[in-house]
Amino acid sequence: MNDPGRYTILWVIATLCLALVPQAISMPLPVLIATSLPLLWRVGSEINRWKPLPALVRHGATALVLVTLFVSYGDMSGRRAAVSLLAVMLALKMIECYRIRDARFVVCFSLFLCATQFLFAQGVLMPVYAGTTVILALVTLAQLQRSEAWAYEGTPPAVKASWLSELSFSLRLVALAVPVGLALFVLFPRLASPLWGIPDTTLDSKSGLTDSMSPGSIQSLFMDDSPAFRVEFDGAAPPVSQLYWRGPIFWYFDGTTWEGGIYGVNATAADEPGEGEAGWDYTVQIEPNERNWLFALDYPTSAPEDTTLTMDFQLIRDQPITQLLQYRILSNPNFTDMPELISALRAQALDLPEDSNPRTRQLVRQWRQQTPGDPEFVQRVLDHFNREPFHYSLEAPLLGRNSVDEFLFDTRTGFCEHYASTFAVMMRMAGIPTRIVTGYMGGWYNRFGNYVLVRQSDAHAWTEVWLPGKGWTRVDPTAAVSPLRVQQGSLGALDSPRHLLDYEWMRGLRNRADIVQQRWNDWVVEYGAVRQAQLFAPLGLDKMTPAMLVIVLAIALAVFSAIVFPIVLRIKGPGSKDPVKQAWQKFLKRLEKAGFASSPAKGALEIAEAASLRLPSDSNDINRIAQIYTRIRYAPDPPPIAELRYAVHEFRPNKNAG
Amino acid sequence: MTQSTAIVEEKSGIGQRFDSWLLERVRRRRGPANLPFTLEYRHIYVLPTSFGVGFGVLLALMVIGGLNFNNNMTLMLGFLLAAIAQLTTLLAYRNLVGIRIEAIIARPVFVDESAGFRVMLRNPEERSRFAVRAVSPESVDCSDLGPQNSGQLELQQIAVRRGWMPMDPFRIENSYPLGLFRAWSVIVPQARCLVYPKPALHPPALPQTGRGDEGAAHQGEGEHFHGLREFQPGDPLRRIAWRTSARHQKLYSRVMEDPREEACELNWYLLGSGDTEEKLSILTAWILRAERSQIPYSLEMPGEALPAELGEEHRDACLKILALHGS
Repeated sequence: MNDPGRYTILWVIATLCLALVPQAISMPLPVLIATSLPLLWRVGSEINRWKPLPALVRHGATALVLVTLFVSYGDMSGRRAAVSLLAVMLALKMIECYRIRDARFVVCFSLFLCATQFLFAQGVLMPVYAGTTVILALVTLAQLQRSEAWAYEGTPPAVKASWLSELSFSLRLVALAVPVGLALFVLFPRLASPLWGIPDTTLDSKSGLTDSMSPGSIQSLFMDDSPAFRVEFDGAAPPVSQLYWRGPIFWYFDGTTWEGGIYGVNATAADEPGEGEAGWDYTVQIEPNERNWLFALDYPTSAPEDTTLTMDFQLIRDQPITQLLQYRILSNPNFTDMPELISALRAQALDLPEDSNPRTRQLVRQWRQQTPGDPEFVQRVLDHFNREPFHYSLEAPLLGRNSVDEFLFDTRTGFCEHYASTFAVMMRMAGIPTRIVTGYMGGWYNRFGNYVLVRQSDAHAWTEVWLPGKGWTRVDPTAAVSPLRVQQGSLGALDSPRHLLDYEWMRGLRNRADIVQQRWNDWVVEYGAVRQAQLFAPLGLDKMTPAMLVIVLAIALAVFSAIVFPIVLRIKGPGSKDPVKQAWQKFLKRLEKAGFASSPAKGALEIAEAASLRLPSDSNDINRIAQIYTRIRYAPDPPPIAELRYAVHEFRPNKNAG
Repeated sequence: MTQSTAIVEEKSGIGQRFDSWLLERVRRRRGPANLPFTLEYRHIYVLPTSFGVGFGVLLALMVIGGLNFNNNMTLMLGFLLAAIAQLTTLLAYRNLVGIRIEAIIARPVFVDESAGFRVMLRNPEERSRFAVRAVSPESVDCSDLGPQNSGQLELQQIAVRRGWMPMDPFRIENSYPLGLFRAWSVIVPQARCLVYPKPALHPPALPQTGRGDEGAAHQGEGEHFHGLREFQPGDPLRRIAWRTSARHQKLYSRVMEDPREEACELNWYLLGSGDTEEKLSILTAWILRAERSQIPYSLEMPGEALPAELGEEHRDACLKILALHGS
């Protein structure tokens, strides 16, 4: 008997489908199919009145779908896999969903599914998705409630509610709930530390720079326009061409791939640059990328919380960045990194695989004889890059075993990692200690938001050579080849657009629009215990304790209730139009047109009596309509409303009679 | 009524105890409802339904997860849904408050039949009421009430014994708009239903009749209009004079009469000294049969007697005497 009514199930499925959208996009194809099939079957069965599937078929389908899920994901420990499991189970639930209880279950868990999506993305469009899902869920729940109330009763409801009026009703409900929801959000005390651990992997895939560099690794980032981080400078900011955001640093080279060095990661900064001389003071808001590097300008004076500052000035976080992270850094550009180089490090910074790149080796030996001084030699190689026909391009051919040889003498076309790698190898061949630095170069200065936006496509690789007296010195061989790369950013240096919509004005527009996301991140995503405590600082309350917050919350809720409750008590529900009354009003209007004005306080039969006197030729019709109206209103077995409507519709009083 | 079992099952042990506790409280504090009875602020209770409790648990999980992962969007969703749920308590309350119970009427029934108590509701306000339900231990009924409109809810109650059967206390409730919270009011009605004895299945033939019961040619009751009188519970609804009733804002029924010459005498004392209830059953069956056969009949009971007559009014008067015999 607890049947959710025909087509209400379609609302339930619509709610589930909407909640599924972001998850479905990330699903492997077999899982997506496994999720859609049960839903499609249920839609078909609702429309065509198919019989419910026998239990054996349902259990078989469940087993099959679960196997598909496990095979597709392989490892079920990830969050995406777990959410997919939830999604698939809800879809399977639909094939046996014939009762209101089950339908409500699915709607509630659709909302839960919606909440899980925020683990993966908290972009500015997510509230639109969540809001639509909530409204749809409310409409569905309202319909289910109606079905349930009428479940024991055969007679159809006298007041029909259209889905449109239910939609507007839901919208009003949400609108009225927003103030209370916001008050709770702003004032509800946050946890200082999590109750249980946050898993390391939350994102669909790691993004950004990796812990090694081989030809093509940075090039692949070049196609990725997503923001890597945003920087707000407190006070003066360096020019964009000086923004070298230092990331992973590599010491080892095996002929094709550069990797980190033991010295790089495990040692803490031997002597940190003093803060007194700090040049740049800035806050970085880094997008989650599931990696451990924080980025900073040369040279960070100290490490933020839970982060180590290594000997080669990498900032390495203890935990991967799984959520939007904000940190503040002081950088001192006028610092000499390692005036003395210990022999172990020197050996490391000169190490090269034997017997490779003979042609380069030959060339370096020759040049080294001509230019014995280190700075001069560096300049000579850079000049070579600059003068010879080297190209900065995405279409770099693949290189073989003697990659440096091939690049230097044959292909001469490549990206920043080719230049950095070739340059570093040549330096090491010449006996100049060199290491590779990867990170980001430049950024887009957003004037409205007063921040610098650094995208993944700004990824870059350069080198540092150790020069006696000057310590580690940054040398960017790419700048020698393509000065535009440094001046205009990586995209400006390219000859052709990367894809169809890749034009300067588009990129500008997108960079400007990023301010919405930046503000969203700043005000909503990053809102937490610290901000909450400072909430009432302008009022002289510097530090709000949780107890104080609860008191303020209670006051705020009381105030909101005083405003909102009277409004709620006045709103009309869906479909509150009374067809009987409408028909009666229409009847009165027709009488008025014919020359009889009734006072609204009178009863129907009194009106009819008076009207009959005034319009004797129509007295039969008038009395009949009044009869029907009275019977609909008062008789225990009222005639159908349509009868009244029809009678009123047919009623044409004669004007001239009176 | 098949639904009765479902309703009883709906209540768990605690729910039942709570219900009976509340009922006692209402009885003590408010006493039986004097009609017309308007549902007011202090009569209406709001508590979550089992679905509401489940929803609350889910929201709590959402908020705890959001707090733990410091995920502000999850928190925002959880809080928004909580605020919506809280607003629905108001809407559920508002959907009931101000509804007037104008009358509760029930036609007499025979033992073992189901009595239908009609609860006449009136919505005096300019807004609709949605899916207002009346719930008794045995049955459920639901109705929408348009603006300034009336409606009725019929509650079934099985008649177990003859005589006056008081109506069981019932709830007027709704879980509008989302089914998360149920607003309800307990009504202790004063309404009662007259229960006639159960007609004997195989009664002896009608006494002292020249015609026998094979001549049941005249179907139905007398068709001769006799007069009007004020509507009484038990009067057949088709007899209500609508036009007159509407004019006087009071229900009137037509009284019919169809006199006959032949008559049979139904006498309690002539049935010997059998079981009282059995004798009453036989008399009941006789009355029904005589009525069906259009044979006027008189009734003689200890302390009471009615002259031979025919018609619904007479039948009801006779049956009433039987129903209330010994009480």
